[in-house]
Amino acid sequence: MFKSVIYKEWLKIRLIVLIALGLSLLALINIFLKVRHDILFVDAANYWYSFLFRGRAYFMVLKFLPFVIGLAIAIAQYFPETVNKRIKLTFHLPVSENGVLIRMHAFGALVLVVLLALVLGLFVAGSAIFFPSNIIDASLITMLPWFLGGLATYFLVALVLLEPVWLFRGLYSVIAAGFVTFFFTSASIGAFKPVLLPLALITLLLSCVVLFSGYRFRKGEM
Amino acid sequence: MYAIECKNLTHYYGKKLVYENMSFNVEEGKILGLLGKNGTGKSTTINILNGFLQPFAGECLIYGENTQLLTPETKRRIGFLIEGHVQYTFMNIHQIEKFYSGFYPNWNSAPYWELMSKLKVTPKQKISTMSCGQRSQVALGLILAQDPDLLILDDFSMGLDPGYRRLFIDYMREYAKAEHKTVFVTSHIIQDMERLIDDVMIMDYNKILAQQPIEQFMNTFRQFNITLASPEREIDLNGIAVNIEKVKDKLEFYTYSSEDEVKGYLNSKGVEYTSFEEKKMSLEDAFIGLTRKY
Repeated sequence: MFKSVIYKEWLKIRLIVLIALGLSLLALINIFLKVRHDILFVDAANYWYSFLFRGRAYFMVLKFLPFVIGLAIAIAQYFPETVNKRIKLTFHLPVSENGVLIRMHAFGALVLVVLLALVLGLFVAGSAIFFPSNIIDASLITMLPWFLGGLATYFLVALVLLEPVWLFRGLYSVIAAGFVTFFFTSASIGAFKPVLLPLALITLLLSCVVLFSGYRFRKGEM
Repeated sequence: MYAIECKNLTHYYGKKLVYENMSFNVEEGKILGLLGKNGTGKSTTINILNGFLQPFAGECLIYGENTQLLTPETKRRIGFLIEGHVQYTFMNIHQIEKFYSGFYPNWNSAPYWELMSKLKVTPKQKISTMSCGQRSQVALGLILAQDPDLLILDDFSMGLDPGYRRLFIDYMREYAKAEHKTVFVTSHIIQDMERLIDDVMIMDYNKILAQQPIEQFMNTFRQFNITLASPEREIDLNGIAVNIEKVKDKLEFYTYSSEDEVKGYLNSKGVEYTSFEEKKMSLEDAFIGLTRKY
């Protein structure tokens, strides 16, 4: 049964996953071509200096990538369930209603995590060619809130889409927009380090909120 | 033994009462048709039965379990056709069969593929690009493959042309009777129901007007067309009439009483008439006679 749930979810998101993968690779290629170009024409020491002390991040093109991927996967996964209230079909399957929703959600989140981890892995591998480890560490600390923001976006968009009442959808959207913005607030390199753990915990808590929308739908809120 | 038991159902949308203390049962092996005008609570009842709506008061049981708390084992025994033959339209006919078969241990794909072989669709054609009639056959085929004990069909005729409606009804009737299935069905097209159902339940605003075997209903509910001698006279016929529709001197008289009883009643009220005849009704005529035209 779990295999069947995964099969359905994969059919919905596979195109988005492929597009996201393609876009991510293009973004990474763009970053490292530019780094290579700048190091050749500026010189490595000055380039590192401008990163460490002037906050000139070479990876800004990745900033909203997790947000876009999280948003796209959530829409691809949950929008089809809201058309003609198709989620009724899912809740009618011979599995507990929460159980099926948790499985759908876990799969979507797992795909997103794997995709984002792949981007981070490739980014680290590419950066290792040009930069020392302290620059790579600082880069990762700067980027982690963005990647957590991508996950938070996924969880909150699922909450909004499955909510049966439009008024509540609007309300949730405003709150979600304000909340997600926090992950993408501009700050100097590594400034988010002290709040990374709380941000990760909050993101983890957000993973469950979709169950609330599912419960409201089953209760017949309209 | 009942497949469905609903007891003292009361439901409101805001302050609007849908129905109060409504009770009904569906016997195992029977096909029950739920008829009612728009807004009388058909969809509300379907939603309560499927656990997608918590009633204000009362409860519905399916095979003895509260519909708000159905176990996966009981859900496996229920086939559900959503109004408009809603299915996962991003799948093709192979993908959707593969998906559902994983949930039902007794999955029997033969009737599904038999129906699919009649459709002129390509193997990779998405359900979203099929006609409403073709989608209805996909939905029906999936339910037949699931082989449930109880089928809940919400407005199955919606969007179907007469050919597909007839195909659906004939297939469903034969299947339900051969396999001793229980069917709870709603439809806006009442003439379809006449060919399909064993029992009829007619809902009006806030209440059930009739629930009985369709044969009994059609034999006992009658329409008399009467031409009045003095049409200007006010008539109070509510004693035995379920409904009367008067246009000039023509009176349509709907009742559960016999011809002799109606004539005796008219005489006792001093109502004179120049003609009196019983009209043979279809289920649709009877439905309109019972629930009024507007």
